[in-house]
Amino acid sequence: MPSRNAVIVGVTLGQLVRQLPSARFGLAPGRVRRAAWARALRLSFERLGPAFVKLGQLISVRPDEFSAELVAEMQSMQDAVPPIPASAIRSVIRHEFAAEPEELFASFDDTPLAAASIAQVHRATLAAPCRPVWGAVLPAGAEVVVKVVRPGAAESIRGDVAIVRRLATRLAGTRFARRFDPVALVDEFAETVDRELDLRKEGRFADRFVFDFRDDDKVVAPRIVWSRTTAKVLTMEHITGWRLSDLETARAAGVDCKGLAIHGATAFMRQVFVYGRYHADLHPANIFVTPENTIAYLDFGIVGYLTPEERMNITQVMAALVYRDPDRALRYSEKLGVHVPPEHIEPVRRGLGELLDGDVRPDGTRDFAHFGLGFLKLLGEHDIAIPGGYGLLIKSLATVEGVARALYPEIDIVSTARPFTTRILGRAMGDPVRVRERMPAAVRAALRVLTE
Amino acid sequence: MTDDVMRFFATWLFTHEAADEEIKAAIRRGIAEGPEGMTGGPDAFVDGLAAMVEEEKEKLKLDLEARARGEQASEEKESDPALDEIRFEVAELRGRLDTMESLLETILRKLGE
Repeated sequence: MPSRNAVIVGVTLGQLVRQLPSARFGLAPGRVRRAAWARALRLSFERLGPAFVKLGQLISVRPDEFSAELVAEMQSMQDAVPPIPASAIRSVIRHEFAAEPEELFASFDDTPLAAASIAQVHRATLAAPCRPVWGAVLPAGAEVVVKVVRPGAAESIRGDVAIVRRLATRLAGTRFARRFDPVALVDEFAETVDRELDLRKEGRFADRFVFDFRDDDKVVAPRIVWSRTTAKVLTMEHITGWRLSDLETARAAGVDCKGLAIHGATAFMRQVFVYGRYHADLHPANIFVTPENTIAYLDFGIVGYLTPEERMNITQVMAALVYRDPDRALRYSEKLGVHVPPEHIEPVRRGLGELLDGDVRPDGTRDFAHFGLGFLKLLGEHDIAIPGGYGLLIKSLATVEGVARALYPEIDIVSTARPFTTRILGRAMGDPVRVRERMPAAVRAALRVLTE
Repeated sequence: MTDDVMRFFATWLFTHEAADEEIKAAIRRGIAEGPEGMTGGPDAFVDGLAAMVEEEKEKLKLDLEARARGEQASEEKESDPALDEIRFEVAELRGRLDTMESLLETILRKLGE
């Protein structure tokens, strides 16, 4: 039986060979060739199992480090795998609770609701009322979903991560790894996957999300049933609604898609600019619109955190975009770790100004994705390193824009961001520490104006 | 001396008047112009901020009027975020206790087996 190492190399090489005709044996133009190799990698990742599916998902949110073709290909990665038999899922539940699902729930459905690389989801109903961390009590008989980590998933993922790390060490320093540090990427990936394998972490983030949006009846997230939750089993409220691919039905049912698009985008900005913790895995499968005219956020497996300082600097960059101020964008990007060498400042500033002034959509609305991804490309052209969190955030904001546009194509995300950024920066003006810091410069500036 | 004092207050009044005109103009620009219509740069931000301050002022006026009528001001109706935060932390702790209680039951069941 071949070793796992050999399987990984064999599958990847096999897919690369299959794509040779598409890449015209390496003679096709750069873009076509890159797209063919990207397709080969995506297909081999899908075949190699959960660790690689997750690695692909991580690549798909890092446009700062990988080519546009690879990022686009990995975005189409399917995390839908054939379900495993209910008996295997039941054995995990039995191991975690020393009880049959029927003893824990009033009913448990053996037919899975969804099956992904790490976990499988089943419907159940509560046997007794449950008081969640925040929000109304879930009554007995309430429909819940039970997310169960597939048996052996943790071990197989950790084993694969170790192999991938060895491969990354060999790749480091070669011409394939010019734009990124493969070992750092694998370490970041290992951390993300470890977090996803402990479902309690996802539950805690969902609780926090429900609390953060307690004053907003248009934004919902599932409440967690902690008495039926362990590291490998997560029980939560079942929220039903329409996926973004099924909006026609939602509209026919009277859902206000325009209102929800604006509200959903604002809710995301609130996560980033106000709380500094955000859902970093937003894609159409993780957002629902519900018959109650609310927007539901699901699956908090991948999340991003920002320190108060990063949050303020990101708000400043967003304000720079809203108010078309390239100097502000550069000043605060520098504070976020984007170091532009002095000889590149002028061309980068010029390029940034062009991006900020570009109305790229025919309806006159401004496009965040165009700015954000254009900025990353601009930095790449000048060989300027991009901090990991910065790339992830830009990708997340661009995704939110995409999601909001799916709900309401004419949405102007930049205008939607205006009140938020202005209010936050206005509030920061009153911060005593900041006032003390800035007052001498303000007085000097006032005196300069008065004496001119 | 009297002339100096008069001159001082006249200067103060003039400054106040000019500043008032400027801020009103900024508010007008901030309200009228979306970001698409702005020329951009730090001045556009100041206009946007002025428009929001105006909104806040109107809210304050309504609150003061409500207070004068003996009604509760909207600010007072809002819950205290610090208290809410403590309530959340306690509730989160309760969630963890639920998990621990369930774990204990699991251990007991396993021992029973």
